[in-house]
Amino acid sequence: MTSIAKKSVIGGRFPKPDSPDKAVGRTRFINDLELPRMLYGKILHTDRPHALIKSVNTERAKTLAGVHAVLTGDDFPEVKFGINRDNTPLKKGKVRCIRDEIAAVAAETEEICNAALDLITVEYEDLPGVFDPIEAMLADAPLVHEDRPGNLSLAYKFDHGDIASAERQSDVIMDHVFNVHYVTHCCMGTSSVIADFDTDGKLTIYTQTQYPYNYKMDLAPALGIHPGDVRVIQPPVGGAFGSKLDVYPFEPICVLLAKATRRPVKLTFSREEEFINAPTRQPARIHLRMGAKADGTITFRDVDCILNNGAYTSWGPTTPYVMMRTFSSLYRVPVVRFRSQAVYTNNPYAGSFRGYGNVQATYAAAIQADMMAEALGMNVLDFSLKNAQKSGEVSPQGSRLEDCVFTECLAIAAEKSDFVAKQNRYQAERNRPGRIKRGIGLASSIHNAGGAKIHKSDGCGSILKLDDYARATLITGASEIGQGIDAVICQVLSEELGIPMSDITIVNNDSAIAPWDVGVHASRTTFIAGNSARRAAIKAREQILRAASKQANVPQEALDLREGWVVQDDNGETVIKLDKLLRQMHFKEDPELVMTTDYYEPPSEPETENHVGDMSAAYSHAVHVAEVEVDTETGEVKVVKVTSAQDVGRIINEMGIEAQIEGGIAMGIGYALSENLQIVDGLVRNPSFRDYKVMTAPEVPEMELHFVESHSKTGPLGAKGIAELPTIVIAPAIANAVHNAIGIRFLDPPLTPEKVARAIWERDISVAAE
Amino acid sequence: MMASQSKATKNAIDDYLAPATLSDALGALEDGEATILAGGTDLMVQTQSGRVGYKQRLVNIRRIDELRGISEHGGRICIGALVTITELLNNTLVAEKVPVLAAMADKFASNQIRNVATVGGNICNASPAGDSIPPFLVLDADVELACLRDGKAATRSVPITEFFTGPGRTVRASNELVTGISFAVPQAGFIARFIKSGPRPALEISAVSMALGGVVENDVFRSVSLSFGSVAPTAMRARKAETFLTGKKLDDETIRAAVETALEEVSPIDDVRASIWYRRHLVGVYLRRLVADVVQG
Repeated sequence: MTSIAKKSVIGGRFPKPDSPDKAVGRTRFINDLELPRMLYGKILHTDRPHALIKSVNTERAKTLAGVHAVLTGDDFPEVKFGINRDNTPLKKGKVRCIRDEIAAVAAETEEICNAALDLITVEYEDLPGVFDPIEAMLADAPLVHEDRPGNLSLAYKFDHGDIASAERQSDVIMDHVFNVHYVTHCCMGTSSVIADFDTDGKLTIYTQTQYPYNYKMDLAPALGIHPGDVRVIQPPVGGAFGSKLDVYPFEPICVLLAKATRRPVKLTFSREEEFINAPTRQPARIHLRMGAKADGTITFRDVDCILNNGAYTSWGPTTPYVMMRTFSSLYRVPVVRFRSQAVYTNNPYAGSFRGYGNVQATYAAAIQADMMAEALGMNVLDFSLKNAQKSGEVSPQGSRLEDCVFTECLAIAAEKSDFVAKQNRYQAERNRPGRIKRGIGLASSIHNAGGAKIHKSDGCGSILKLDDYARATLITGASEIGQGIDAVICQVLSEELGIPMSDITIVNNDSAIAPWDVGVHASRTTFIAGNSARRAAIKAREQILRAASKQANVPQEALDLREGWVVQDDNGETVIKLDKLLRQMHFKEDPELVMTTDYYEPPSEPETENHVGDMSAAYSHAVHVAEVEVDTETGEVKVVKVTSAQDVGRIINEMGIEAQIEGGIAMGIGYALSENLQIVDGLVRNPSFRDYKVMTAPEVPEMELHFVESHSKTGPLGAKGIAELPTIVIAPAIANAVHNAIGIRFLDPPLTPEKVARAIWERDISVAAE
Repeated sequence: MMASQSKATKNAIDDYLAPATLSDALGALEDGEATILAGGTDLMVQTQSGRVGYKQRLVNIRRIDELRGISEHGGRICIGALVTITELLNNTLVAEKVPVLAAMADKFASNQIRNVATVGGNICNASPAGDSIPPFLVLDADVELACLRDGKAATRSVPITEFFTGPGRTVRASNELVTGISFAVPQAGFIARFIKSGPRPALEISAVSMALGGVVENDVFRSVSLSFGSVAPTAMRARKAETFLTGKKLDDETIRAAVETALEEVSPIDDVRASIWYRRHLVGVYLRRLVADVVQG
């Protein structure tokens, strides 16, 4: 009899199970899929932001050889869909932004589709457009939707305490307007979908969606079919980052083409189409006021946000829901007033994007915190420590901060980066000669880390089975969009069942098989799906150990599962091989197969209509320190080093956390410095990677990552969600560092070389003039 | 006001040829109805986006060995049209005689693009932001062209200063092929430098690029040549600033006045990459930097 010691895979370093296939090019994305008799679809998008459609002539396109269908809005009854029920698949009568879909073609090749689109002529009567949300609110502004007076789309408000008395208690009040810009997700895989009807009229849709179950519910009304008759297949995706959290018109259009042709149809965006027609991050004008006492205690925050809704409503205009959490819970804020209005314009429209409003809110809040500290003559570290919440505190909106390590994150990030000494030194060196100035900046952030109860359920289902060879299959509702839930679930199952990770298969790509999940968003998947998988595994473990106990006549509590064996827990001595036991269970007279299910609902609350409620099962903080070099002649900002301290609850897969944080930082640096979807008069000026500048490998700085383990009481094995915080917090850290280097604040990102050079030049001119 | 939407760029080809010899290629171009493919790094993007339509015939010239190679004879260096940017970066003759071309190649696009993009293609694309053009301008290079005339190959050389007529436009006739670019081996003591804007070390289309060449003797600048990219409809020589700098001692006052002169010569535009203000600002920043760099040798 041999002995097997107890080992844990939790906290280890594991590549994602799907990475070898991706590395060798074997992964089959939607672009690689071809169904028999499949046609291709293409959409004619408009080329003007606001116009009446006088006529659409598709006759020549219809006669082109190889064309199977040409559709316009006139071919269908108008069915509204989307968050505000303001969108339609193909537009009739009027176009409201350059994303608008005029006609669609299905043909035997993409080339024929493109040739057919060229043969379609559209006559318009141009209408005056409105592109600025403040102008759009004026009484005489053109209406984007005739049934939306004042162009108002969505408004939010939250009040906690009395602002007037908080103002009276304040020694210093900061008052600034921040304007955050358009950026887009830049997924490597462009938007793509395949629609396929069976002979019964049931739809199978191959999609990149990151919320397969609600996707059915949202898609079906646009098509006039029953959500139950939609089967969602999710092939691997080339990035999502929130962009696939809604239904966009290209998806129902592809389905309509499939219906019209009775053939499977695939519709894929070109890169240029992707830049123009995929969602953006929500831009915002944030008027932020914050008060503090002379000792640094924050007295209130008062926020007015105006959002450019664009022509239709996707998730972007709902991001104030998250922004208000930031303004009410980043630091201890006793009094809060929050207002936001999303206003229709003739711009393209925003969706959800990693951070979901928190990127925008934290940019403003963390810069203003730095300014407040400066105004009070305090170091921002001391100001932050003064106002950092501790475990057990409850925010004005009802976020209960359990397992809170904000103070630890601040201390670690500051100490490891030598923040205070460097900040003082760089400030002292600011006025010395030399074109390169160094600076260091710190920013803090908070985000939900245990899901977000914005739907009726924030749950996830799991089905676990073990076969006769002790191989496990976990069928989970959680989608894998690159974030790494596949590795996490394998680790959690391996931990509970004592089988190698390589013996575990995850199935999560078919809504006909996998149980419900709300979708990949809100940094929730490790927390929610991890908990659900673990609970299913614990049920299976108990079933196995019960059988082993009976067979070996050893108390169940004295047994454990290790490396494919049932062993004695105390000394690790082997009792029976797991696969043998499973076969004995299966083929005995009273057979039992090990199959378990679980539906996990996190212990969180939906918000009341006044926006109070403990909406996440956990919260976590991240503090970033960025060190930069500014070329004061060209205005180029180079991020030299980032030091990150983030509450991760407990490390499950260290490699996965590193990848998430490093990737999040790279994405956030792009937001801070270079990425900018330039939308002027409703037109996208830079729809290509040539002129839309994402970070490339050489600009990615040294990163020093510190994982702070708070051991969440509710998270799976203590883990918290981690994926959004790095993107949320890095940009204000960079802006604060640039201020430390050159003494100039940038309230409107991105800090492009031109913007920085111009600000330095203007300051030098005004200094010279004095 | 009525307006209509329709597109009409041709992105299909009727005929594809891949000649192996220069004379076959010239034959394929003779009627002027051909689009030429070399590295394809510009052509593919432009045709896919619909900005450029194919002519009826696509002629792939990449099999023509006569268009390859970098050589020196008769006091001139010749660079074949098909020489890739990577070859320019790694070539020993370039490193020894015209290191400014290697310095330019090091800033050109990305490794993947450099491996296929050609010198001839970068010149014929005639972008005002084309990276190779400012260095060739300061080298007083000639663009070598060939065509069939009465069934025989005919060649001509066009000074690169006269080659460009506007953004994307050159004096190349539709039946002509650029076979290479040549220039006199720089005189002893000639120093040239190249600079381009952009915080990204790779994949940056410059808002301003600049090359400066000349000989510094006893602190005095002679044989000055100065060129700019992205500040006018074509890459350009800054003749007035050159004249101003020639024979001068390179002190702060001279440099300041040279920047003033250069700014009178440029005509930058506001576009998606930079404003007029920023382009003019960078002209000053970069000219000061390049002069300081050349003075230091």
